[in-house]
Amino acid sequence: MKYPVLYAAAAASLMLLAGSAQASGNASRGQELSSQVCASCHGVDGKMALADDYPILAGQHRDYLVVALQAYRSGDRDHAVMSSFAQNLSDQDIDDLAAWFSRQDGLGELTFD
Amino acid sequence: MLNRLLAALALTLALATSALAQSGDPERGRVIAFTCSGCHGIPFYKNVYPSYSVPRIAGQNEGYIISSLKAYRSGARKHATMQAQANTLSDQDIADIAAYFVSLAEESE
Repeated sequence: MKYPVLYAAAAASLMLLAGSAQASGNASRGQELSSQVCASCHGVDGKMALADDYPILAGQHRDYLVVALQAYRSGDRDHAVMSSFAQNLSDQDIDDLAAWFSRQDGLGELTFD
Repeated sequence: MLNRLLAALALTLALATSALAQSGDPERGRVIAFTCSGCHGIPFYKNVYPSYSVPRIAGQNEGYIISSLKAYRSGARKHATMQAQANTLSDQDIADIAAYFVSLAEESE
């Protein structure tokens, strides 16, 4: 090996890539889970809101959805309904749900002229 | 008869006016919400420590924007930057901002 450091760096990058691919979640499993758990309030695709103060989830950033669900699960964020639902979610469930909702058309970035 | 009619008319007007005062003004909201674009208007802008994308809010539900901003203002929901921003907002400011964000969804439809 002529460039051991380079090879090590390449290997490390690949491992990081593999790790982030794993963390991106399984959207089809997320869809299934959503239909069982989330759909009655948010709609299967996250475009519906049962009450006006419930958020639209479709198109939200994947990593923000993960942080929000983790915060409900840990108690950092408090909502009677969401806190109890999040208790039952594994890390994998959260990743899968986030992958599903983030791929739907919905929310956008603010743009200013 | 006329008196009753006038009373009913006055009541209707009073109700309409109070509804107007509570609902947000999207044009005023657009001006106040300029600050929001500093984070929420930059695609894939990241929160730091921990690192995650700041949420997309264009097209979000009016009531959710209002309840979120009020929760940040009261301290029920924690986020240093959002609490600092929300602390400067009146109920009317919050209603106006929410009305503006909703109007963005209607435009894109």
